[in-house]
Parts: sequence; C-alpha cells; structure tokens
Amino acid sequence: MSAWARTKQWNTFTRIWHLFDATWQNPIDCAETIGLYLKGMYKPIYHPMSDCGDHVVVINTKKIAFPGQDWRWRAYYHHTGYAKGASYTRAWELHDKDPTLIFKKAVYSKLGNNLQRRYTMQRLHLFADEKVPEDIMKNITNQIRPIKIVPRTLDTYSQEEIKSFPKIFDYPKDYIIR
Amino acid sequence: MLLIVLPNLQEEVVALYSCSRKKYREYHRFFSPLLKQLKRRQIIAPPPINHRNTYLEWNYEAELYSFGKRLGEEFDNELLRQALMQRSYLKKLEEEQKRVGIEVSSNENVDNVCMIPKGEEILQNFTLLYLRHILPRFPEEGIQSIKDHLMSEETLSHVCFHIGASELILCEDFPVEKSTLNSTMKALIFALHESSGLERTSVFIRDFILTQIAELDINDLWNIENPIETLNTICRNEDVDLPEPRIVGDSGVNTILALYRVGLYINKKLIGLGSGESIKIAHEMAASDALRRLFGTAEHQLNIPFNLVLNPKIKSEPNLGVKDWCEKRVQERIKQTLSLNE
Amino acid sequence: MSNKCLLIPSGFPRLPLKNGIGRVVCQLKRITIKFCKSSGSSQGVRNFIELDLLDFTNNNPEVVIYLKPRRHHSPVVISEYLNGERHYMNFHNFTRDNTNKWLNFLRTRVGIKTIRFRKLQHTELPSIQGVWSPFTNKSPELNITSFPNEKFLQPKHLPESATERLRKMFERQKLKESEEMKMNNKSIEVQQ
Repeated sequence: MSAWARTKQWNTFTRIWHLFDATWQNPIDCAETIGLYLKGMYKPIYHPMSDCGDHVVVINTKKIAFPGQDWRWRAYYHHTGYAKGASYTRAWELHDKDPTLIFKKAVYSKLGNNLQRRYTMQRLHLFADEKVPEDIMKNITNQIRPIKIVPRTLDTYSQEEIKSFPKIFDYPKDYIIR
Repeated sequence: MLLIVLPNLQEEVVALYSCSRKKYREYHRFFSPLLKQLKRRQIIAPPPINHRNTYLEWNYEAELYSFGKRLGEEFDNELLRQALMQRSYLKKLEEEQKRVGIEVSSNENVDNVCMIPKGEEILQNFTLLYLRHILPRFPEEGIQSIKDHLMSEETLSHVCFHIGASELILCEDFPVEKSTLNSTMKALIFALHESSGLERTSVFIRDFILTQIAELDINDLWNIENPIETLNTICRNEDVDLPEPRIVGDSGVNTILALYRVGLYINKKLIGLGSGESIKIAHEMAASDALRRLFGTAEHQLNIPFNLVLNPKIKSEPNLGVKDWCEKRVQERIKQTLSLNE
Repeated sequence: MSNKCLLIPSGFPRLPLKNGIGRVVCQLKRITIKFCKSSGSSQGVRNFIELDLLDFTNNNPEVVIYLKPRRHHSPVVISEYLNGERHYMNFHNFTRDNTNKWLNFLRTRVGIKTIRFRKLQHTELPSIQGVWSPFTNKSPELNITSFPNEKFLQPKHLPESATERLRKMFERQKLKESEEMKMNNKSIEVQQ
C-alpha cells in the first residue's frame, strides 16, 4: 500500500470528536441521535463490523430537562446480585448522586443489546458542567446541534429588546395585577 | 483403490462424489475426510509436476498454430520456433547429439539469443512513444519509471505466461523461470515484427503489455522523494509565489489516531489537499496531490485510452524533466507533437 | 443454510491479463476429449465428434483439441486455460446437443476454479468523484470555529414558530407604516 493510498484510507476512516451541549435537552431523545454518532451510522461507509464510530463529548449533563413528572416518577432499577438487592432510585435522587448517570443510561439503552455496546460506550465522554479537560477539548472538531429548542429565559433579554418586542395587547393603565 | 488416487485427480474425485442422487448442495458423508486425507498426502509427498509435452496428447505444431490464432497474429512458423528456442535447450540438444554420435550442424539462427535485444528495442521505443503521447504533461522521470515497470521481468513474464507461451518454450529449466519468460517475450515481439511488420507489432504491444497499467495508479510507479521541493521547483520555473501550507482540518489531535488535513495555497487559491497522521505527512501528501493535478494524473483526471493507433516509426522526444517543467513549455511541447503527427 | 457449510471455496471475479481492455483473447487453450468407441455413455460425444467437431475446430482455431479413445471409461473432457487451470468434466450419457452446449460453455469461460462468488462485480477504481471522508460536504469554517460555539445553540430546519411569525408580521406592519408616513409627507409637500 503506497503512502497515498494509506493516507486516503486514514482520511476516510478517522474518528471525529463531536461536542454536544445537553442544556435543556431531554436525555432520552438525545440518546437516539448521540447513539447514531457513536455507532457511525451517519457515515456512508458505515458497517457494523468496521469500527467506524465517533467520539461524543457531552457537556452540561447536570442541566438536562425531563418532561412532565419524570423527575418524580421515573425510577432506575439496580440489583446488587445478592438476595434482597433490588433497588429503585428516582431520577432526581440519581441525578443528585451522579449528574452524568441519567444521560449515560439513556445512551446505553439506545445503543442496542449487542457485544459492541460496551466498546461504543467507551467513546462517550460525559461532563456534568462545562469544565472539560483541555486535551479532550482540543480533539473536538464538530458540534452536534440540540434536538429540542433551547428556550431563552426572560432575564437574558435586554431592556431594549423587551421594549421593541411586538405587543399584541397590554393591560389598561388602571388595572391592578394580582 | 482409493489409496492409489493421485492428487491431480482430485477434480475427478470431486466430480464423482458431489450431488449424484443426493439433494442439491449436499456431499457424501465421507467426502470431507477423503479430501483431508488427500491433502495430507499431498503435503508429505508433493506430486511430481511434469512438462505438458511429456503427456501423450501433445502436438507441438498444432500448439504453435493455435498460439498465433489465439493472439490474432500471423507468425512466420520458423521465426516463431526460433523465438521459443532458448540457448540452454539448444546446448542440451547438441550435447545429446554428440553423445549419440550425430554430427552437430552449427546453425546460428536456431535460438532466440539474437532476437532478444532487438525485441527489447522495439518494445522500449513503442512503449515510450505511447506513454509520452497519452501523458504529455507527465515528467520524463515518471515516464521512465512507468516504462521500467512495464518492461520489468515481472510484468513481461506475467504477460508471457498468460498468453500461453510458457508451455511452448523449449528451455532447460522447469518450471519455467521468470527470466526465461522475460527474454522469450522480447524474442516473440521481434518474431512478430519480422513476420507482420512494425504496425501490427506496435498494436500487439499496446494490447498486451501497455494495458498492464490499466487499473494501476501510475503515480505509485514513480516515487517522488521530496514532493514539496519538486513543487517548489515547478513554482520557481513558473515565476509564481511558493505555495503556502495551511491546516484545513483536523480530528482527534491528542489521540494516536490523529488526522491532519493540509491545503496548499498559491495566492489564496487551493492547489492541493492532503491528509495524514501528522502535519508533516499531510503537507507532503498535499504537495503530492498538487503535483498530480498539475501532471493530469489525479484520480478524476486520469483516463488512459488503449485504443489509439500511433505511427510507430516516429521517434518520440522525451517529455520535460521535473527541473524544466512549467506550463508554458508543456503547452509548446504538446503543440509541437501535434504538428509532428500531422 | 449458510455458505460456510458448503465445501466450495469462495472468491471474487477476476480477469486474467486485463482481457478485454486490449483485445479479447479466448482463454481456452486446449481440450482433451476421452471417450469410448463402443459404450453407450459416449454415444453423444461420439456423435458430436462425427458431426460437429470440425465446425467447432474451424470456428475456434485458437483451441487445440486432442481426442483419446479409451475403452471401458466414461467420456471425459479436460479443458486447460491460459492461467494454468485444468477443468475436468464428466460427459457420461450426454447427448450430442448437450456436448455442444457444454463445450461452448467451456470455450467461453475463464479458467477460474468453480467457486462461490462473494461479489458479482469488481473494479480497481471504484471512485471517480473521490472517496467520502467526514470532511466532504462540511463547511470549511468548521476548521476555525472554537467549541462550544453559539452557531450550534439551536436546532436547524425547524418550522416557523408562532412568535417568529408574529415578529415578521410586526416588521411588515412597521414597514407599511413608514411608507405611508413618507407618502403623507410627500403629499403635504406637494400641497405646500
């Protein structure tokens, strides 16, 4: 194999490092998209046996958002293997203990039950906040867009923007807001 | 009976024990152990391979006739026999004749020794002519490398074998060595030249030997040691700024599987793009890419025709060397060659 | 049933010596026909030899044909090809028509052994536009962006939200009002 052919192949089969910001995102929905990137399924050269998956670095896993009452009702099952070792932990409890676990479990379940799953999970890097080690940060070449629209809170709008925003109606001047 | 089954009858055994009364896609139960046993015996005592002419069914004259017909060429019978006769065989014959007591008639034109260098010359001339015609932008060093590859022992012996000449060659060595096949190929070319003329020979060379570069990447045949320096030389010849390398992309920089993409720019215009495990390699590949695009041998540009009929009597002038290469001179040369052909 | 349980090896189709790019060369070198002069199994082969063999040889001068009459044996055809392969075939109880067809088959094949083809096509140059890489069809601006980046804050290709629609209506309204103002000013000027 000549140097030219070798570098051509190297170019085609590189592992890209993607960044994903999990703020305001539903981890179950994100896990599907991130799973695709981890497996390399967006690539036209994809084959399950050709190890073409990419790395994904997820930041702000602390700020994920579950819909409805999921924080209260969703429970994660764990069994120690010993008798009476079954435990059910609520999502909010698990999130307090380790803010990356919910996201990790979501991706793990979406990858599909096969022998490659554990190896693919090793390419997922989760960080609770924005503090990522510099080595990893330098590797990153692409950012995955969020799945859900990231809402803007009122305190991020400036006074000018609020004033110039179109008003459909306004309260009468003598109206007292309770 | 099975103990005496020789390994070269394996095909017959396979034919015997497949399908028959059984369903489609099945073999007899003992078939697999039989094959294993045969293979084991083959390894212990490899079967003796004999030359095809030791078989009962062999007619040299018929074979020579078919040989010519197969290639679509008319060979003069005597010249063909001479081309296929190696000196080693002739010597062996003469020794045997001496031993028996027959008078040895010294005949100079019986073996192919004289034909080989002449055949080589014809082959070389036409190969260079054709290559220079189809790759006018390729530097002379590259043309010479392709020619060396085409006229190498491997290529010529490969062609000679697959034409069917290996069983017709009269030589001492068996199995026929590559050097013998190599020299016989050249002798055959000369024999064809003497029988049918230079035009037919050149078409023969084009169809059998030149097509060996058909699906190859010819840039691999020419190893440019320092592509960056070569590109710089060409830029100086063209009076253009030297190319500026820029990192165009990277991935996994801190990992073992790092990738860098380097682009070479002249006056902010991209001339070559390369990728590699390190910046240095990527830079070299980018220079390599730029050179390929300049010479017209990049993947998307290269389209070598194998159906051109060129006048073999023209003596082709060598292409520009790398040191003198520049666009103006290349265009001049192309015009010159066109006018010559007319 | 998988292909592994078959005892036939597998491979890919390959042509010897770029046959066809230059000129087409018949790959069959020689045929040896062994047959019996009297037994019934060779009758078809005998009929072929009597009636069709000369036509075959005249049409295909590049093939050398050897005939070997052998008693008390099934008729057999061994074909040798230019790449050195020998193909053995039993013509037991074949009819004359059958031998014709099979000999034509042997003539037109390449000397690859009988294998299971994993792919039915092959090319050394599969790509003309260039092989895909993760950087194809990606904006070169990615090279100079630092991550995380504001451009990637929101999802792309979303349908227009109600807020956006209202905003646009407001902008259009503003434009209309400013145009009307201009018209009014002009008419006032003209009046004056």
